[in-house]
Amino acid sequence: MRIVCPFCGERELGEFTYLGDAKPQRPAADAGEDAVYDYVYLRDNIAGVMSEHWYHGGGCRAWLKVTRNTLTHEISAVEPAAGAGAAKVGA
Amino acid sequence: MADFSWDIRGPLDRALVAGAYGAQGDAGVSLTEIRNFDLVQVMARRGKAGETAKAAKARFGIAAPETPRAVAAADATLIWSGPDQFLVLSKDGRHSIESLAIVFAGSASLSDQSHARALISVSGDKARAMLAKLSSIDLHPDVFGVGAAAATSMDHTSVTLWRGNDRSGQAVFNLLVFATFAESLWHTILDSAAEYGVTIGHSEEL
Ligand SMILES: [Zn+2]
Repeated sequence: MRIVCPFCGERELGEFTYLGDAKPQRPAADAGEDAVYDYVYLRDNIAGVMSEHWYHGGGCRAWLKVTRNTLTHEISAVEPAAGAGAAKVGA
Repeated sequence: MADFSWDIRGPLDRALVAGAYGAQGDAGVSLTEIRNFDLVQVMARRGKAGETAKAAKARFGIAAPETPRAVAAADATLIWSGPDQFLVLSKDGRHSIESLAIVFAGSASLSDQSHARALISVSGDKARAMLAKLSSIDLHPDVFGVGAAAATSMDHTSVTLWRGNDRSGQAVFNLLVFATFAESLWHTILDSAAEYGVTIGHSEEL
């Protein structure tokens, strides 16, 4: 598997580290215990297209949001993860 | 109580043995450690990429690279190291962290890497063949020309790789590696280069 880093170009898998599901959003401070439990522990086990966080630690050290099909490993999109590395994001 | 003596020495002091190594005859690979350089990491603060770029242009007379490239200023090389960040490589204190702190005050965060990295220059007929064993970067001259750079890994070790100006008609590949990983990578490089014959040396010329 290769990932096309938006900053570095196409790189081998060994330069990246998988973080996990990019979908969960931190609940508001007053959201309650169930919402926090869900955010911290519960994950969907998606067979298909999934949004994931990957870290280009062996390269530019940027966090990326990768859209990957977990059945085929086909990657349909890679973008910088907002607020996690590139100052450019959202600027 | 045990006595410790702390010596100041370069990261490759022990591993680097100047002279010939590996296969006899004309050396296919030339390895030179570059010593006593100044290296400063410049990282734009969030939302300050434009200001950082402006400050860099004013200081160095050329734009800092915004894509994986290394650009030569009059007395420094600016090497891309990631989004909105670059390294300033120079010598003789011309661009020390003290002087750059004034230039980038308020726009970028700086970190002195002068003694945190080793700099290895690789050239020779077989430089590409040797590096191909260690790197997944396409180093073909059509793809990786003079000034091309990459933040990448070799032998699971993070490196900053860039192609400098050709010397005696030969491509020159420069490698910055974390000081504590330098010896390990050096041995891996020697293993990869041995079959081509190696000339080993060190220099203070950037
Ligand atoms: Zn990257």
